[in-house]
Amino acid sequence: MMDVAHRTDGAPAAPARDGVLLRGEDLCVALDDGQMLLRGVHFTLKAGQRMAVAGPSGCGKTMLLRSVAGLIDLVGGRVMLKGRSAAEVGWPAFRRQVVLVDQRPVLLDATVRANLELPFRYRVTQMGVGAQRFDEAEAVALLERLHVEPHRLDQAAPSLSVGQQQRICLVRAMLLRPAVLLLDEPTSALDEPSRDAVEALVAERSQRHGMAALIVTHDSAQAERWCHTRLVLEPLGQELAADG
Amino acid sequence: MDNGEAVRGAIELSWVDMTIAAALVLVAGGVSIALRLGLERRLAVASVRTVVQLLLVGFILRQVFDIDSAWLLLGLLVAMTVVASFAAVGRSTRTFRGVTAQAFITLLLTGLVTTFTVTGAIIGIEPWYRPQYVIPLLGMVLGNSLTGISLSLDHLLERLSAGQRVVEMELSHGATRWEAARAPLAEAVRRGMIPVINSMMVVGIVALPGMMTGQILEGADPMKAVMYQIVVMFMIAAATALGCMLIGLLACRHLFNSRHQLRAELIRPRG
Repeated sequence: MMDVAHRTDGAPAAPARDGVLLRGEDLCVALDDGQMLLRGVHFTLKAGQRMAVAGPSGCGKTMLLRSVAGLIDLVGGRVMLKGRSAAEVGWPAFRRQVVLVDQRPVLLDATVRANLELPFRYRVTQMGVGAQRFDEAEAVALLERLHVEPHRLDQAAPSLSVGQQQRICLVRAMLLRPAVLLLDEPTSALDEPSRDAVEALVAERSQRHGMAALIVTHDSAQAERWCHTRLVLEPLGQELAADG
Repeated sequence: MDNGEAVRGAIELSWVDMTIAAALVLVAGGVSIALRLGLERRLAVASVRTVVQLLLVGFILRQVFDIDSAWLLLGLLVAMTVVASFAAVGRSTRTFRGVTAQAFITLLLTGLVTTFTVTGAIIGIEPWYRPQYVIPLLGMVLGNSLTGISLSLDHLLERLSAGQRVVEMELSHGATRWEAARAPLAEAVRRGMIPVINSMMVVGIVALPGMMTGQILEGADPMKAVMYQIVVMFMIAAATALGCMLIGLLACRHLFNSRHQLRAELIRPRG
């Protein structure tokens, strides 16, 4: 595993004393109809660590990310951010630090700029010690890093290609400087150069700022290349291993 | 009609007059037969229902006016609101458990607040429960605000169901449930307000409102009828705005939980 530097800027504080940023303990996830999808999933993410989530289609990778983000309730187990549960941190504050980026881009019917500014309108972003403002220069820099031309800022987001939209969603999440990114197949709609750019940017954030990432990917080569560890899920929900 | 004298006060209609009016419906039936529209049977049923329902209402109102009891009035208001609640939620394409109760609370609160504001603070009726004022005014409020509530609810449930991913995207970037619901809620209130604003824009130009027409036919001074109509329009606008907002807030409170999760699975298609 590569060495990581603890972040010194932005809202997210240093990881817990044991160095663990995000911990999933004995997670159990069920579908709306009560059918159990995942059972007994464990993982730990340290600062700067990237973990691939692998497994066949339908085994619950996306549901795992949604439950870690707190968008759906766990049937069992708990998720701890720096040793505290989402209920202790406050759900919006928790999600502001553990940001989920969907596989299919979700953008408002508005300009790219309006979409990037959106999270900065929320109370949790504006208030408290970690208060943040939209930084257009940073947004432009990130877009350029991901091969999206800055003039796109004033274009309607839905008019862009799916690949561009996917990268804009990633930029929107990264502008928040989260402690943990939950990425669901973040490069599924990208060509090779854009995919490499995404991998490089996330890796740089991990190294320089200690941002951790839980990354769903079907591409084992990408998992090998991009991630430090791997969490393998089985179809019936038994977590196999989190290898190093 | 008895005669054509221009007199102040209502001109009483006889059963002969009513029969002549019924002949007008026969004209509509004749058109249906001539053009083979197949509407004769439905038109006949609708005409009979109109007569029966209105006679029944007239009978009930006469009894209520004669008894002149506050409790009887309140009972009638609740009954009117129950019927309006079912009508308000019955038109939306999506629904959720408990929506009728929420519509009832919304219509009751907004209906009573606006109606009694008008009867108490503007018209100043004595005693406060005089049914010949309260019942028609509440009826107009309910009839208009249920349309607004229905449109609002329909749009809100559509946005929270079909637009679930957008709402959850906002939640997953730190929005509270109210921040995530703000845009769908605002648009839902806007949609619900459109009919009443449209009718306010053209009132008196395209058509004279029913209440005002009734007063004028009864021999009232047109300016007095107009002033009453203005009060009624404002009352309806206030009730509709409050109703659309309240039903939206109640629905969102039900469809989001304290963990700031959208419970879209609670929304189901009607049917």
